Amino acid sequence: MKLNYSMLVVGLLAGGSVQAANLYAGQAKAAAVCSQCHGVRMPSADAPFPPLGGRDPEYLKTAIKQYRDKTRVSDIMNAVAGSLTDKEINDIAHYYGSVKP
Amino acid sequence: MKKNRTKRLNQSLLAISIATLLSSGMAMAKSDNMHQLYEDNCASCHGSDHGGYLAPALNAETLKGRSPTALRTIVMAGSFDTLMPPFYGKLSDDEIRGVIKHLQATPKQPNPAWTMDDMKKSLKVYVKDEASLPDKPTYKIDNIDNLIGVAARGKYGRGEGSRAIFINSVTHQKVGEVPTEVAAHIIDFNPANPRWAYVKTDTAEIFKVDLYSMQATRSIKTGFNGPGMGVSRDGKYIMAGSFVPHNAVILDADTLEPLKTFELEGIDPDGKMVSSDSGMIIGTPYADIFAIALENAGQVWIVDYKKEGFPVTKIENVGRHLHDAFLTHGGKKLMIASYDDSIVAAIDLEKREIIKKLPAGCVPHVGGGSAVVVDGRTLGFGTNFGDCDKMVVSVWDLDTMEVVKQIPVSGGTESPAAHANAPYVAVDIISKDRRARTVQLIDKKTLEVAKTLDVGGHAYFPEYSADGKFLYISAGYNGDEVVVYDSNTLQKVASVPMESPAGIFSRGRVKYMTRGLSPDEMEQSK
Repeated sequence: MKLNYSMLVVGLLAGGSVQAANLYAGQAKAAAVCSQCHGVRMPSADAPFPPLGGRDPEYLKTAIKQYRDKTRVSDIMNAVAGSLTDKEINDIAHYYGSVKP
Repeated sequence: MKKNRTKRLNQSLLAISIATLLSSGMAMAKSDNMHQLYEDNCASCHGSDHGGYLAPALNAETLKGRSPTALRTIVMAGSFDTLMPPFYGKLSDDEIRGVIKHLQATPKQPNPAWTMDDMKKSLKVYVKDEASLPDKPTYKIDNIDNLIGVAARGKYGRGEGSRAIFINSVTHQKVGEVPTEVAAHIIDFNPANPRWAYVKTDTAEIFKVDLYSMQATRSIKTGFNGPGMGVSRDGKYIMAGSFVPHNAVILDADTLEPLKTFELEGIDPDGKMVSSDSGMIIGTPYADIFAIALENAGQVWIVDYKKEGFPVTKIENVGRHLHDAFLTHGGKKLMIASYDDSIVAAIDLEKREIIKKLPAGCVPHVGGGSAVVVDGRTLGFGTNFGDCDKMVVSVWDLDTMEVVKQIPVSGGTESPAAHANAPYVAVDIISKDRRARTVQLIDKKTLEVAKTLDVGGHAYFPEYSADGKFLYISAGYNGDEVVVYDSNTLQKVASVPMESPAGIFSRGRVKYMTRGLSPDEMEQSK
């Protein structure tokens, strides 16, 4: 937790406000990394993946970072999120948060 | 290009890391189970004969030397920028390993038979007494021509998401959804009776759909795959053709009962006798005929459906690997694309002969085709995959059969949309990178690209509403919506959510024959 917190602070100092998420960059990253399984608004009716559209960005950020840092274990999510930067996670979380399911 | 490579590299790194993490568990499933698993999950795109269809062939030959680990990763995570979905969580790791082992040991199967008897046995009746159906639409619509049908593939090419979805193109609201089990591919409307539509799936089932009550009344399996389907001008016959097996069939449009099958074979332009896939099939408002393209034999056959025994006239040497086509001049002329020699051949359906072969960019795919009348000239628009340096849309003068212009566009294209009342011809850019999100609009008058729309997903199959006021575009693959634009301002006006939308078919098509032509054009044929 301490580590995460200090990374967040560094992120704040380096990239300005957390609010300054780039939705367009988030959309592009989501299209390349997430939407294959999670869809944009909704995953497929036949898919076992949870929806991300319209979720709370703070929740999404925390969850993706946990997957990336392997503090939350899922084979596939640890691998998929493994190379995302804080900025990318912020963009993705705010993008999905802005999508109406 | 460099950017492209980096992206691919990132993806393969991701793939490797996923695979490494998941390499545990080694039990092997039996091969007959694996055959069934392939049929249930893969075959509708990759082919029951393992010879490929929308997706690549998967057999011992094509997968020779491929790393099972890399293949497993593709199956688990899906393949970006394609329709290949992630099977993680749908299939167990043992099943994925098992099916890959099975595929790497299975040769391409011989073309399986699907006979008249097989078809008859596959006929299903969902509504026994069609007279009991309502006699007008059960939803609000001013004119049935305002219906737009969308082939929603569903993420996995089958299942809950696979539907033919019908939209009122005035309100942009869904008015009906007809589940098709397997991905819907083609929707044709009955030109003589507005209540009927026909939906063909990836696995060659044809559903007869009642547009008034928005339900399927019957279905029949006409083969294993292949998109070819046409409806006769009197609305009484359907002709459907398959890639697997190599045959075509004429059905009674009312009962869907098969009336006659045709073995597709002939001498190709290089003098070889070949068995052939079925390409496009089209009914024309000009006569009681169907035209069918024999893809590999390079022939167009004309079938007289009103004559005893459905006699065939064969037009040979049309091109190498024929695919799709559109009509012009009251339905008397057929413009048919030939992939391998990059031409579009103009055929006179009256004289039953080739008029001329026109340059058509690179690997032409004309989709539903488009033709517009500009300053007294009828211009045809030809899209092409553009698998070479030439990224152009071809424009032909359909009166003189000359090339007017080859318009530079940003990538390969698959389907043009036009409407007599709309100022632009829309073409979908399909090149596999960010360009795939876009559709370009060509000004009818200047014949230059006027605007690029960023639609999202893999944007393809543009289609105008019957009145020409709105442009519908599928944000396919993972885009999961159909986006609607105002045809003049090009402002986004609506979004209709659905899973992996693909082809869009306006009922207006039966009125204007080829998209872009005025309904007056049809009058010439009467």
